[in-house]
Amino acid sequence: MKQIKRAFKIHRIFVVQELKRMMEYKGDFIVGIIGFLLAQISNLLFLWIIFTKVPSLMGWSLNEVVFIYGFSLVPKGIDHLFFDNLWAVGHYIVRKGDFDRYLTRPINTLFHVMAEKLQIDAFGELLTGVALIIVTLPQLSVEWSVLKVILALISVPFATLIYTGIKTCTASVAFWSKRSGSIIYMFYMTNEFAKYPATIYNTVVRNIITYVIPFALTSYFPALYILKGENPLFNIGMTVLAGSALMALGAVIWHFGTRAYESAGS
Amino acid sequence: MIDVKNLRKEFKKTIKEPGLKGSFKSLFKPQTKRVVAVDDISFEVPKGEILGFIGPNGAGKSTVIKMLTGILTPTSGKCEINGKNPTENRKSYVREIGVVFGQRTQLWWDLPLRETYSVLKEIYEVPDDRFKSRMSFLNEVLELDDFITSPVRTLSLGQRMRADIAASLLHSPKVLFLDEPTIGLDVVVKENIRNAIEHINKQEKTTVILTTHDLADIEALSNRIVMIDKGRNVFDGTVSELKTKYGQIRELHFETEERNAAQALCYEKLFGGNIGGLTLEQEGKAVKARFDSSVVPVSEMLAYTLSRINVTDISVRDADIEEIIRRLYQQGVSE
Repeated sequence: MKQIKRAFKIHRIFVVQELKRMMEYKGDFIVGIIGFLLAQISNLLFLWIIFTKVPSLMGWSLNEVVFIYGFSLVPKGIDHLFFDNLWAVGHYIVRKGDFDRYLTRPINTLFHVMAEKLQIDAFGELLTGVALIIVTLPQLSVEWSVLKVILALISVPFATLIYTGIKTCTASVAFWSKRSGSIIYMFYMTNEFAKYPATIYNTVVRNIITYVIPFALTSYFPALYILKGENPLFNIGMTVLAGSALMALGAVIWHFGTRAYESAGS
Repeated sequence: MIDVKNLRKEFKKTIKEPGLKGSFKSLFKPQTKRVVAVDDISFEVPKGEILGFIGPNGAGKSTVIKMLTGILTPTSGKCEINGKNPTENRKSYVREIGVVFGQRTQLWWDLPLRETYSVLKEIYEVPDDRFKSRMSFLNEVLELDDFITSPVRTLSLGQRMRADIAASLLHSPKVLFLDEPTIGLDVVVKENIRNAIEHINKQEKTTVILTTHDLADIEALSNRIVMIDKGRNVFDGTVSELKTKYGQIRELHFETEERNAAQALCYEKLFGGNIGGLTLEQEGKAVKARFDSSVVPVSEMLAYTLSRINVTDISVRDADIEEIIRRLYQQGVSE
């Protein structure tokens, strides 16, 4: 408990530092916000064009498809906001020997790396996702119960862990191979499949995104339960299980990775 | 205090043939070779000592330091500080140490310097009152006041180094590791940094392990030297022991009207086949001859020189430690 409290405190301090750092370069910060807004507007336009051309998809109505799309952006956005620094591990932190710094400090290295950066670009995904959910939900006839609200809320952090876990597993490869940016990218980009109902893909793709790189568990399966009330044990249970298992696996690979870490000559 | 025993580190190295073709080959059929960077290093450091840890480039110094600071995991052997082991419990181990790598910084680059200290305060859980007294002590020793509100990126190298040393000392570590703390600094700043290190060592009994290529650092600060080469211990002892053990290098300084003193003197004759360490430099009138007095005694060298040419202003000096080590590095110390 004390440790968790301390972790939150340190996390808060890192976030505050990160915000101060952004403010240090005000021009860059303002231009960043403008660019971010432009990107969001063009994203929404693009979605609108696609979905007005395709009214329904393999038995899924337009509103349902948009809901799945929106829901998928929430865990993705949370991961992007808080845990984006894992990319840097794969790209340069290990290769350049910058990881030394984390190892000489008395806090968990994985936590330290993740807590250190805040990627505010992620607000784009989060805002778009939440907006799409808010717009579509009233138009869908969903039967709500207390249990459903709780399970829906639970699925979000565990769906986030699916992203973070996969990134941790693949970023850790850098401890052996020196850089793993492309590997993270390859696995991470399969999340594009998760934005749409899994039934539109053939069996191979569907099995991959359900059981191997389970991004379908971040949106499609929870939506099956939320929208249609189907099989909560699998649809939510698998998300919780996969999120926990991937994050645990990531932490283990990371741990062995830090022992294999070779630093860089100086 | 610090106990290093039979420490060994191997790296796997991929062997690549040159060119694009070689790169492709190694992509599909990588060939690896085991490289021993550190081979059976042992030494102990008592509390409060300043240990100079030296060796030529590529000798394995950094690898040893990185194992001692919990960055690299040893292949075998142990290193302990007060019985604590970095491989078993890194987090509790690193609380006892402070680390400065001259080539890197642990400061928050974009923020005013004082922000770094307030973050480190939380990371190391330094209580408020302790933090205050600590900061005023570090301020006094390292003179941070002038630039503590400036963003780190605007600091000069000397300021940055002082700031980094302060950062590594904030949590009052028992051991301070300094990896080339004076690299790239001018003479005056070097002197300030040395004074600060000495002050902290005296005042707080902080054990210091110092690697450097500037042997003036070693002479000014440390009484004891551990020297390694090709991953092995080659010397462990005091500065004066090093001087007696490795050749009695002396320097003969004099002035002469002779244009080509080397030819006129022909020291090779005097030394016979054993001319190791013999050098002669002439700049106008001034001549400096360096020789090993265990081969030819000083008196003989003097007599010989005086008998060959006319000299004025002759004197014999001890070679400084730098000369000894330069000679050792060139010969390869392991022989």
